Amino acid sequence: MDSSELERFEAVVLPHLDPAWTLARYLTRNDQDAEDVVQEASLRALRHFSGFRGNPGREARAWLLAIVRNAAYSLSKKLRTDALATEFDEEVHSEAVSGDEPGAALDRELARDAFRRALDRLGPEYREVIVLRELEELSYKEISDVTGVPVGTVMSRLSRARRRLAAALGSEAEGR
Amino acid sequence: MTHAELERQLDAYLDGELAPEESRAVAGHLKACAACARLRASRIRLRDAIREELPGLQTPEGLRRRVRAAVRDAAALAPTPSRVAPGGAWRWLALAASLAAFGFGGWALGQRRAALETLTGQVLASHVRSLMPGHLTDVVSSDQHTVKPWFNGRLDFSPPVYDFAGRGFPLLGGRLDYLAGRPVAALVYRRREHLINLFLWPATATPLGGTTSTTRQGYHLVRWTASGYSYVLASDLNLSELTDFHHLLERGGSAAAAPR
Repeated sequence: MDSSELERFEAVVLPHLDPAWTLARYLTRNDQDAEDVVQEASLRALRHFSGFRGNPGREARAWLLAIVRNAAYSLSKKLRTDALATEFDEEVHSEAVSGDEPGAALDRELARDAFRRALDRLGPEYREVIVLRELEELSYKEISDVTGVPVGTVMSRLSRARRRLAAALGSEAEGR
Repeated sequence: MTHAELERQLDAYLDGELAPEESRAVAGHLKACAACARLRASRIRLRDAIREELPGLQTPEGLRRRVRAAVRDAAALAPTPSRVAPGGAWRWLALAASLAAFGFGGWALGQRRAALETLTGQVLASHVRSLMPGHLTDVVSSDQHTVKPWFNGRLDFSPPVYDFAGRGFPLLGGRLDYLAGRPVAALVYRRREHLINLFLWPATATPLGGTTSTTRQGYHLVRWTASGYSYVLASDLNLSELTDFHHLLERGGSAAAAPR
């Protein structure tokens, strides 16, 4: 690869390392796997960079995020564990609901903790749409491109993920 | 609009993903229905909570540096099309080199693993590096009687060297390498178009016990200890043939002498 192509890669793709790390970290839920994923994804991106035709901004970010996602899934397959997956557990999730007992207000740190755990307990297909939508502010179409699932599925997963998070937080009775 | 319909569309509505007429219908229902309006308020609180509690993360500085370095290494090693010599053995060597560019990323990661993992990473890196043009052998010879003496004075041990050409694993040569903090012998064999590196060095006081095999990035590694030496095989050859080769090596000279 000649040096101008490397410079172009560094200018177009590497500025999106933070979103890549964010997605990898929320998907793998631990630093070491997330580092493996980001490093592997960066190299895959480099290898396929000559085929990338999009703009350096949103399109490059979505393109890199798609590679990160694939790298995370192939890592979990390689480890032959469901490293990314966790079943949503009704028993556990109810513990996060502190209820409205008088004086039982959660302090801030506990609330954050409960929230993270609630997100971690979502399956990876739900976690990724939450991260892509709420943190990266991708459109449904972009999320569909990144995850390779139809826009309708993106929509229903996002809705379901939010219902679960809301329930886990006990923010308000859902479904009336 | 029913509650069920609204619930299905509420998220898309709040995300600004509904078509204008659908969006108007949802807005109309929300004005008229107190229960759905509460649901909407709860979704907005949830969104605020997500954005507050789940911040975007910053790449750790160490990782950022490693990514930049790995990308530069890989870019430097990736052959540009004009440099790939046409045809012959060079074609697959060039291919190996382009794969090697990838191996290094994994190798850098291997560094962080535990001691055993570190050795695995080093072996993999050495193997991958050896596949690059000009790195495979320091002494090119299919003659075990040329390769073995070559190590004299270069190593503080005299490695057993056998040619298994009669068994379909011809010896290509040897080179010095550096693993586990010491110089080691690397013997290079070929099986069809697959290269095999055999690393060996005197076993330390703590034997590894048994034979272990791992697969990394498409390369198989087989480790064992026998007759006072630690051995590691590395190749992209399939694990079954590599295991056969391992058994030949364990039999050593007697297997090498016997023609097919």
